[in-house]
Amino acid sequence: MARRRQRVAAALGTPVSSSEDEDEAAPEEVAFGVAKEAAETERKLAGEAARRHRELLKEKRRRRQELFTEQKKRKLLPEAVLQELAAAPPARADGQAAAAKPGKGCGAGAVKQKQGSAQRLVKKDKGRKGSRAKGNYAAVRLKDQNVTALHQQLAKDFLNTQLYGPDTNRVQANDFFSLENKKNPVKKAAVQFVDKSWGEEKKERATRFKKRWLSTQMKTCL
Amino acid sequence: MGEFEVHRVRFFGLVPAGVRCLACTPRGGRLALARTDGTVEIYNFAANYFQEKVIPGHEVRSVESLCWAAGERLFGAGLSGDITEYDLLGLRAERPVDGCGGPIWSMAANSSGTQLAIGCEDGSVKLFQVVPGGIQFERNLDRRKGRILCLSWHPSDTHIAAGSIDALRVLDVSSGQTVQRIMVNYHVQKVKRECVVWGIAFLSRGTVVTADSFGRVQFWDWQRGTLSESHTISTSAALSLAVSEEENSIIVGTSTGATYQLQLLPVKMGSQETRWVRTKPFQHHTHDVRAVAHSPTALISGGLDAQLVIRPLMEKVQRKGYDAALRKFTFPHRRLVSCARKARLLLFQFSQHLELWRLGSTNETGKDGEVLPLCRMPEHLVQLKSKGPEHIYCSCVSPCGSWVAYSTASRFHLYRVQHEGDSVSVRKVPKVPKVLPPAYQLQFSSDSDSLFVASAQGSVHVLQLLEPGGCKHLHTLRPPSGSPEAVYLLAPSADGQWLAAVGGDWAIHIYNLKGFKHHCAVPTYSCAVTALAIHPLTNNLVIAYSDQQLFEFSIPKKQYTAWSRMVQNCGLHKVWLERDSPITHITFNPKSPSHILLHDIYMFCILDKSLPLPDNSALLMNQSTLKQLPETARQRQLHAFKICKKFQPLLFADLLDNNCLVMVERPIMDIKTQLPLPIQQKKFGT
Repeated sequence: MARRRQRVAAALGTPVSSSEDEDEAAPEEVAFGVAKEAAETERKLAGEAARRHRELLKEKRRRRQELFTEQKKRKLLPEAVLQELAAAPPARADGQAAAAKPGKGCGAGAVKQKQGSAQRLVKKDKGRKGSRAKGNYAAVRLKDQNVTALHQQLAKDFLNTQLYGPDTNRVQANDFFSLENKKNPVKKAAVQFVDKSWGEEKKERATRFKKRWLSTQMKTCL
Repeated sequence: MGEFEVHRVRFFGLVPAGVRCLACTPRGGRLALARTDGTVEIYNFAANYFQEKVIPGHEVRSVESLCWAAGERLFGAGLSGDITEYDLLGLRAERPVDGCGGPIWSMAANSSGTQLAIGCEDGSVKLFQVVPGGIQFERNLDRRKGRILCLSWHPSDTHIAAGSIDALRVLDVSSGQTVQRIMVNYHVQKVKRECVVWGIAFLSRGTVVTADSFGRVQFWDWQRGTLSESHTISTSAALSLAVSEEENSIIVGTSTGATYQLQLLPVKMGSQETRWVRTKPFQHHTHDVRAVAHSPTALISGGLDAQLVIRPLMEKVQRKGYDAALRKFTFPHRRLVSCARKARLLLFQFSQHLELWRLGSTNETGKDGEVLPLCRMPEHLVQLKSKGPEHIYCSCVSPCGSWVAYSTASRFHLYRVQHEGDSVSVRKVPKVPKVLPPAYQLQFSSDSDSLFVASAQGSVHVLQLLEPGGCKHLHTLRPPSGSPEAVYLLAPSADGQWLAAVGGDWAIHIYNLKGFKHHCAVPTYSCAVTALAIHPLTNNLVIAYSDQQLFEFSIPKKQYTAWSRMVQNCGLHKVWLERDSPITHITFNPKSPSHILLHDIYMFCILDKSLPLPDNSALLMNQSTLKQLPETARQRQLHAFKICKKFQPLLFADLLDNNCLVMVERPIMDIKTQLPLPIQQKKFGT
């Protein structure tokens, strides 16, 4: 309450009287117009602050929405290609340039969507159709396959799942053979306490460096 | 005895393949064993369980089932869908016959050995006739859905029991129809696995025994289709089953490596009613036991940890003593390492490649038991991969280190190795003489001038090695009375005049190389020869037999030496005769003519012929006690056998020059960590 009065007084330019005789003195005379203006400016300020706040939120929301749509577009193939696929597949012309980089085209396609010319899009979808089949399956000629090898592989897989499959209670060799070491009266380290494959690359590089170093030493000595 | 500098070699990365099938001959004299890489081995029980024949495997050939038929003919069938007969004289697999049913999971011969039944992937049981040339397709029995994993004939050959997934079937042989089908599932709500019948046996009283993947052994009355008895012997799968001939004892192998014996025992003393009881549990293996066999006196099991365990049954063994001891075989009974003494090279034979290593060297000396630092590390010089899917039969490196030879089932290869300073180059010798493959043993002469090739029908080919890199066939040596079996051991003399050869019929023939004539034959002995060597100075042939006997035969005089007669009169020490593994290599020390160096898998021995032989009351392994005694007391207790058990398991031991020994060891734990995964064992407190 006191602060408000001080503010109003500051807006009006009148000095603030001390608080001692506040309660006994009569309320100050404030002109109606001045008070009205003060209230209006205050309202305006508050309104502007709220508007700015709302606009900020709106801006944020808009940006997020754009980001989502862009991500979604990046996941899907470009529009033109989807349209082409939805329609009957037309005769295949070659699209060399785009076929060379189909994966890159997908990501760049979303960005270039807005600028994309019809030519570029056409090139891309021709290329994309050819490469659509990659990755999911492989086509082989049955004549080349050895039927007995296939049967043998199936049989071996059956045996493997029965003996070493998920339900069997298999454990690593280190754990199995170290049980005795753990249970002995004199406890010993595990059987494969040090794994020889640790730092293999480093050791190989070290031996090669050593050989080279020694040979240079021999050269300088001789 | 002197001091030796020992090169202790542990870089031979041999991993033996696991045991997949076992088959005992009906009278129990021999055991056929098949491994997961297709190798087939024959063990002779009478010759102290010696591994007398080995047929190396093939990359494509897998053996899922072995059986003996029509006397001594061995047949194998596997996932490639073929039935193969193994030629035990020529040590090779003959042309396979296609079973036409997809991968073959099981095979069984009827009691007379005239018919073979195979169980295929497509669920059919096919019958084949065993005819003198091979086998002939007879007919198909009833086919149902579900792969047939195990088969068994009824002793009267009227019915066949076949186990597949979730069910077992009994087929009538004459009509070919399925007369009974029994479901074998596990009736528990939670468990959704299918029940796989891994082993089946048909008893003569009409009981069918099955071993399934839930660890149960079940006894079924097939005519009524009911379960008579069920024993849950393990929480993991029961993978194999074998019944004794009298049908009162069954051995079962499980996935955890445990084997169990079930016996048919009377319920009360003297009562007629009998019941099957699980009597003896054994834990001899660490990995899955996929093959078991029951011989008249022993329980035999083979596991994926590459071990073959023979456990004689106490109540069946006539002679108590070493006959009743447990026998465990992990390593082969032949040499897989050859050594080029002068060049200090070792050649390691794997199943599909060879490795040539140069030994390291040290400049320091030390006292007994000290480990000396190396100034040059051992080097892996060459790795020779065998071309083609066949596995290697034998290999050898010449003493000078410049020739390497190996043989597979269809080809013989010879390589020239050139040492240029520190590096090595290998060139194949192009035109090799057409000796009939395979070569069962290869041996270079001590001057690296000729190569001896052991071949079929008891013959040995002598090839001459020409200098820049060529080879010429000189002569073929044959025994005078001919022999159907192949030669498996060769021993040339150091002066290049004599050659000793041993064939599968255990007859030792000695040939004179100066005239390429047969010189004499050593008197026959009732046991297999495991190692032989000719002394460089005296030309005495030292022979080690599989029952641990030692003989010394003088070649110039054509008779046993006086020392050998003395050994036979006094007899060898009891502890020496009770050793598990055969002697695989004999060598000599040129500086001490009376020394013979021998080794088996668990010990290395220097035999001093000038010292007295120990009698049964003396301690055989007395090296450690001798070290502590003063000099005078030592002289009284010295005997001829100086045995060192420090290096175990020993695959090869040889004497290089200058008091250097090389010992190739293969610690068992190094093998076990490279095998397929074992089943978890839960122990309290870990």
